[in-house]
Amino acid sequence: MSLLVTAILFALIGAIVFSLIGLISGTDETAIMVPLTLLVILLGAPPAAVFSFFMAAVLAKHLTHAVPTALMGIPGDTTAVPLIDHATTLRRMGMPHIALRKMISGGIIGAFIALPTAVLLGQFLGQFADFFKSSTGIIFTLAAILIAFFSKGKWVSVLMIIPFAFFIKSLDLMSFSILDKHLSISFFLGIAIGPIFCDLLFATSSNARKTIERNKPKEYHLAPETKSWKGYFPNPLKILTGRQQIFTSITTFISSLTFVFSPVGMTSLMGEIVGSRTKGTYKKSTTSLAVMNGVTESTYIAEVIIPLIAFGIPLSPVALGPGSPLFNAPPVFSVDPINNLHTYLTSWDFFLYGIIGLVIASLIAYPFSMNYARKASVLVMKLVSQEAIVAMFIGLACLLAFHEAQLVGIVLTFTVAAVGGLLNRILGIGAGVQFMIFYASTWIMMTLFGM
Amino acid sequence: MSQNHETSKTDLNHNKKENRTYLEILGDTILPNHLLLAILLSVSVSLGGYNIGLRLFPSFASDNMVASYSLLLGILGSVLSLVISSIIFKPKRVLIEEETSSESMKQVFEDLQLDPVEELKLIENDPITKKELEELGVLNSFRALGGEHKK
Repeated sequence: MSLLVTAILFALIGAIVFSLIGLISGTDETAIMVPLTLLVILLGAPPAAVFSFFMAAVLAKHLTHAVPTALMGIPGDTTAVPLIDHATTLRRMGMPHIALRKMISGGIIGAFIALPTAVLLGQFLGQFADFFKSSTGIIFTLAAILIAFFSKGKWVSVLMIIPFAFFIKSLDLMSFSILDKHLSISFFLGIAIGPIFCDLLFATSSNARKTIERNKPKEYHLAPETKSWKGYFPNPLKILTGRQQIFTSITTFISSLTFVFSPVGMTSLMGEIVGSRTKGTYKKSTTSLAVMNGVTESTYIAEVIIPLIAFGIPLSPVALGPGSPLFNAPPVFSVDPINNLHTYLTSWDFFLYGIIGLVIASLIAYPFSMNYARKASVLVMKLVSQEAIVAMFIGLACLLAFHEAQLVGIVLTFTVAAVGGLLNRILGIGAGVQFMIFYASTWIMMTLFGM
Repeated sequence: MSQNHETSKTDLNHNKKENRTYLEILGDTILPNHLLLAILLSVSVSLGGYNIGLRLFPSFASDNMVASYSLLLGILGSVLSLVISSIIFKPKRVLIEEETSSESMKQVFEDLQLDPVEELKLIENDPITKKELEELGVLNSFRALGGEHKK
């Protein structure tokens, strides 16, 4: 009983904190999910509560990041990028609130379809788990090659696998000889905050600085408040038309099964398929938005749950990025040997605590973004400065790195962040590829040099 | 900040605010000095909180919880620094509240190379979409636009 209460409590924290974070546009998914989830784990939350927290956080963030996407036409984060076109069309027609309503209703449906589907598929794939567990090194390496090939950088990502693995292993040896223990949180954080840190490096370089210099502050165009609706908790099913409900359900079900592709890719694909079968701009935009946001949500959830239940090793882009602490957060969770949510929770636990997270996020973030979307985003944009947000994440990264390995941890984190961030920003070697290489590095170096 | 100095010299006509050089970090504009101070504040407050915790908690908390409590204190520190930084360094973004009119709707259709008459026809022939737009109170702007084009 008390575990249930703890799980609900953590889900509440996740839902509230991430509802607010979602309103800040342009935030990097991995850079924000990883440190905060790590904190919850290191603070000693029970595994079930960690999972509820994560599910609530994911759904809440996606429900409120629809707000900047719909009202201002800037993607709430990278997963919202494919929705921008349709959202902008509706916004310019003076109907941003309709875009918002369709998006978050689709998202809710997607989340609740994905959870049971992913749990079942995860359990089914679990039969092959022994094979996966006994050959993690090769699997990580093959997955690194595959993910690298499908990353933005494509060939350069493949080319950089061995050098980056060499780089990671060297840092590992160096820090091991100082501290006599292997670090991993510091590596992780470095890869996650890479993009932020890269911008900061640009700012301090008299050469690169020009590319990010602006002579006036950034302008945000906020759509006016239009008609509201009756009641506090509008029924998500009533907001979508029957056809939109059917399309959303089918596409989110399909995308719950394809857990190895990137959520952004699946979203674009499904949006395109449904959009091309719908006539009329208004209908096309609203239907696409509902479907796309639903697919983002379901892919996201499935990509975390399926590898967690089936293998306990992160084998999908989301599991490697935002979801990575659920797999690997030493000393609490680890991948080699597998000792993480996979070992602590049964399939039924995943379902139960997942539902807790999703229901609580829906109860908080859904009516919040339906009723107070505009007021809240004005408040956040006027009160919270970007300086404060960037500074807070740098501070958090320092804190966690210091917690793991004092000064060595901090230096290591920012070394990885500098290299990883530049590779990410300039060459398009995404954080997911880097995480995968990090996991594969031991096996690669062992095979190449026997150490 | 020699660069700032130069620009303010050459553009004396403009007021001071316009001459500042902003930097775009993670998709939003900041002033470099403000960011530097905010980062220093955040790092020192969160690490400070953590280290104070490590010294303080052993006297009244059980050994295995000291690290967790200290971490919590560090987090509180970084949240506190978020609040303080936001108060000292005001956001640099500019919010523009837009008004939408049927004029801009016409512009949208032109930009996207869409035919408002056809759009109206599709809406009128689809009872579900028609009802939805009617309830939202925007059906008339579609009608106005489509009708206008017919003439």
